[in-house]
Amino acid sequence: MISYKPKDIAGKLALGFLKNPLTSVLGISLLLLGFISLQVMPREEDPQIAISGGAVIAPMPGATPREIENVIVNPLERKLREIKGIKHIYGIAMHDVGIVNVVYKIGERREDANLKLYDKVMQNMDNLPKGVMQPLVKPFDIDIDIPILTFAFYPLEGQKADYEKLFPIARRLQQRINAVHNVAKTTLVGAHKPQFNVEVDLGKLTAYNLSMGQIMKAIQSIAVDVPNVKGRTKDKKLLIFGVKNAIDTVDDVKNIIVAQYMGSPIYLRDVARVERGIDFQNFKTAYVGFKKAKTPEEAAKEKLSPIKQQITLTVSKLAGTNAVFVANDVLKVMEEYRDQLRKQGFGYIVTRNYGKRANDAVNELVDHLLITIAIIAIMLVFALGFKEAIIVTLTVPAILAVTLFIAWISGQTINRITLFAFLLALGLLVDAAIIVIENIHRHLHSHDVDERSMEEILVEATDEIGAPTNVATLAIIMTMIPMLFVGGMMGSFMKPIPLNVPVALVASLVVAYIFTPYLSLKLLKKPEHKHHHGKHAGQEGVK
Amino acid sequence: MMKKFENFVHAILESKSKKTLVILLTILALLGSVAMIPLKIVKAKMLPGKSDNTYSVYVTTPTGSSIEQTYKVSKCVVEQLKKEPQVLNMEIYAGMGIPLDYAGLVKGSGMKNSENVAEIAVNLTDKHEREETSYMMVHRLRPVVKKACEGLVPGTTIQFVEQPAGPPTLASIVVEVTGHNLKRDRKLAVEVANILSKTPKVVDVDIMMDDIYKKFDLIPDKEKIARSGLTVDQVNKIIYLAFEGMAVAHKNSANEPDQIQIFEVLDPKTKLFPNKSKEALMTKLNELNLMNRKGMMVPVSEVVQVKEVDSKPGIMQKDLHRMINVTAETDEESQVYPLLEARQKMIDYFRKKGWKVEKEPGMSTYMFDLHLIDPKTGEKFLLRWDGEMKVTLDTFRDLGGAFIGALILIFLLLVIYYKNYSLPTIILIGSFLSIIGVIVGHWVADLVTRDTFFLTATSLIGFIALMGISSRNSLLLIDFAKSLMEAKGMPKRRAIAVSSATRAKPIMLTAIAIILGSALLASDPIFGGLGVALISGTVAAVFVSLIFVPVLLDNSKGMDLDDDNPLHHDPSDISITR
Repeated sequence: MISYKPKDIAGKLALGFLKNPLTSVLGISLLLLGFISLQVMPREEDPQIAISGGAVIAPMPGATPREIENVIVNPLERKLREIKGIKHIYGIAMHDVGIVNVVYKIGERREDANLKLYDKVMQNMDNLPKGVMQPLVKPFDIDIDIPILTFAFYPLEGQKADYEKLFPIARRLQQRINAVHNVAKTTLVGAHKPQFNVEVDLGKLTAYNLSMGQIMKAIQSIAVDVPNVKGRTKDKKLLIFGVKNAIDTVDDVKNIIVAQYMGSPIYLRDVARVERGIDFQNFKTAYVGFKKAKTPEEAAKEKLSPIKQQITLTVSKLAGTNAVFVANDVLKVMEEYRDQLRKQGFGYIVTRNYGKRANDAVNELVDHLLITIAIIAIMLVFALGFKEAIIVTLTVPAILAVTLFIAWISGQTINRITLFAFLLALGLLVDAAIIVIENIHRHLHSHDVDERSMEEILVEATDEIGAPTNVATLAIIMTMIPMLFVGGMMGSFMKPIPLNVPVALVASLVVAYIFTPYLSLKLLKKPEHKHHHGKHAGQEGVK
Repeated sequence: MMKKFENFVHAILESKSKKTLVILLTILALLGSVAMIPLKIVKAKMLPGKSDNTYSVYVTTPTGSSIEQTYKVSKCVVEQLKKEPQVLNMEIYAGMGIPLDYAGLVKGSGMKNSENVAEIAVNLTDKHEREETSYMMVHRLRPVVKKACEGLVPGTTIQFVEQPAGPPTLASIVVEVTGHNLKRDRKLAVEVANILSKTPKVVDVDIMMDDIYKKFDLIPDKEKIARSGLTVDQVNKIIYLAFEGMAVAHKNSANEPDQIQIFEVLDPKTKLFPNKSKEALMTKLNELNLMNRKGMMVPVSEVVQVKEVDSKPGIMQKDLHRMINVTAETDEESQVYPLLEARQKMIDYFRKKGWKVEKEPGMSTYMFDLHLIDPKTGEKFLLRWDGEMKVTLDTFRDLGGAFIGALILIFLLLVIYYKNYSLPTIILIGSFLSIIGVIVGHWVADLVTRDTFFLTATSLIGFIALMGISSRNSLLLIDFAKSLMEAKGMPKRRAIAVSSATRAKPIMLTAIAIILGSALLASDPIFGGLGVALISGTVAAVFVSLIFVPVLLDNSKGMDLDDDNPLHHDPSDISITR
């Protein structure tokens, strides 16, 4: 039926798929794959930038900054210079501690970078100066270190602010949240733990002729944990017994005998105020003030609540997981505990939700993408005609779907930059389809149209423009390739553009060659009047 | 219409003077638009500000301040911001950083752990439902808050930190004062900071070094300690235990989520000093007794001497050199221009003070660095610009490299396709000219928008993408003209004119598609540059491909018919461009 022998890949594709019953299945499955990718792909606001690095912290109590610089920072820096791939080394010499921060070049694999740093420190442990405590190696981990969600727990209005109670509640909730699927790290910020405070009165100390050291020894001698003791009975069975920690409640601490004075015991409560309280020596405290309003109008009217002490629960997700899903799961769990918290006199507000932010950013851009497609479609109706415009417009979602799917299986996330890459590509990728449909249109209006079958015309029309369209598209892809090699943070930040635009362009060629003739066969008809050719402007130029 | 345009192009090609005019006009437009950058009509910046639903305020009181003082300043900031209708909630994190975010990541927010720091997270209503952008809000509030609160504790700095639009940097302007004389480093850093704070549009100037404050050193009298039957270790420990406190024991419990510590310290009331003096300290130490081996009490004041000294500030090093960072932010401005202004001021200032100031030789991303040499001692110091400036220069250099790479790749592709050099050169010149549109487009965008519209890294990406688009236009144009000459035997000039006129429609069509596609891009704060570059660059590219490229083609020998060229023997090529 089709006697035309295609020379270019364009014609071959057109021929192969034109009468194939699987073409429509392919089209639908492409769209479906794209849709699934859009729903399932991890969403984030900005693309991840792989920053590797870490800190080496070496404490040396009692040393001055100059001493720390000489003894810890300088030798450590010299050793760390031996590591390949390090961009900058920052040394900080403070009182009592030396810190060396290492920042690797962008793109250094995190696992390798961490291992190299750890390895270098461990190799040189024998050179550690006397008096320096075991150095800590703490690698940066952006995924885990940057929380996607934060909650502030605060005492409700009219309730006595009992922070001592808040901590255990927040801690238990933290355990629940950490159990949620794909949650990585949770922390409590500004938390004050309960503790038994022994506040020794200086005057009484003098009066009873006691020293701080004596009191310390007295407490230490009572508060001991002993492991269980195993004894054996005559008939070879185990008899297990243990010594209970003598301190159970705060009263046990109060009743510790510190010394004997004139024959009568002096209890701890006599010289010190002993109570169960919070760790007041920890100066890190968090506060919150908030409005209940949701909209700007409500917010404008409402006044901020008084500033209250709070505990912040931070939640971060595992790398490569979908922030939107994790955030929603966590919020659901938190909602379950809201009533229980209220009964205990506490409430919480969400003070950060990157999941929502990522989702909003992605949805906004997807909307932009759809609007742009609609605008281009309208423009095409005027320029090409209704059916032609529909054909071209239908290829756009297919191209985007293929690109999105490839992005997904290559491990990318869907973020603002990915979608900007799509917006950028949008203006370029209708081109191939326009060129094909224009040529089909021209062939359908040429004078030998009656002697040839529709199929043959379609394949020939597609095949003809194959070579120059390929070269022209290649030219645009060429401009994107060097952008892949842009270094630094900005390079990684922009990477989705050179990664996705070429894919979209190649997809646009393939889709144009396969689906434009296929859809034309379904939608377009050979014109009735064979000499009708006024419709296509510019025809005169060739004639 | 088509015919008219065809004749118009043909008329230009026929007349030598008109051709010269087209070339002259183009060169003029190119020079004029490029000149807009040094003339600051179009300003460059790495990435523009991004409106967000949150920003943070960093409060730093002088080193040695108490947490209560820091909290007082933070509370004041909150009281000021409370009046803002668009604030939803605020969190003060006293003595530490806010839960880590991208801005805090590079600003060392996670490392904060002292009584003189606090960070405040300010969450706003959704950016889509509010009129004022977050950066405008910061711009408006910064002077108000600083005026009200910085005076509470003298020496306090309050910084407003916005979420970065792209990769985070330490600050917009960072001067690394590098030198090995610690004292002079500190002095230079203060001088640099003073110059920066006097530069217009520069705000939040901060010197990242510990302040020197008065402290008291207790010097243990070794002989007395030994004779009293004590040890130095014991003295140290008890002093720490008395005033700082220590967890002396702990207790595990089934009913508590964490271990419970037993914390011993002097009663806060009894350890209170009446004032900040040597005498007060001595009196208190006199009350504190130590027990010696024989069970006798020895007052601490007996075995130590108190001396008032200056505190020893911490030392920062970068890449093995001692360094002090001076950071600053720019207020509604690219960091480039205040930086250059401040740099000039620094050169003048240090020259006047007798320093030998040398500029960094050669072209590199450190090209703005200044070397200071003391003519008397020969000591060398380096003022290095880092932060956003360095990232900007690096990015523009890399994108420039990518641009040249793109040029070479397209050139090679075209040389392979045409098998000569003159046509690819014409196409490249043509595509380069879209820069006229890019720059003029930014100028127009700047005129119509309320904020400054900067030429950004994304504009450069747009420009690079434009290269491909306009070379495609030229490519199809040339192909079509050539096949007209071969298949129809048309004269060169007529063929070029016809080709230009017939290609006009598809070129326009794809141009409109790009313009419409980028229209929504242009409204985005970050990718606005890309959108504007694509829109205006495409417009320029249309004119260039339809008028300027034909003129160059006419003068080129590459267009002449060449029988060795195997590409143009297929008459069906005519249809390519239709």
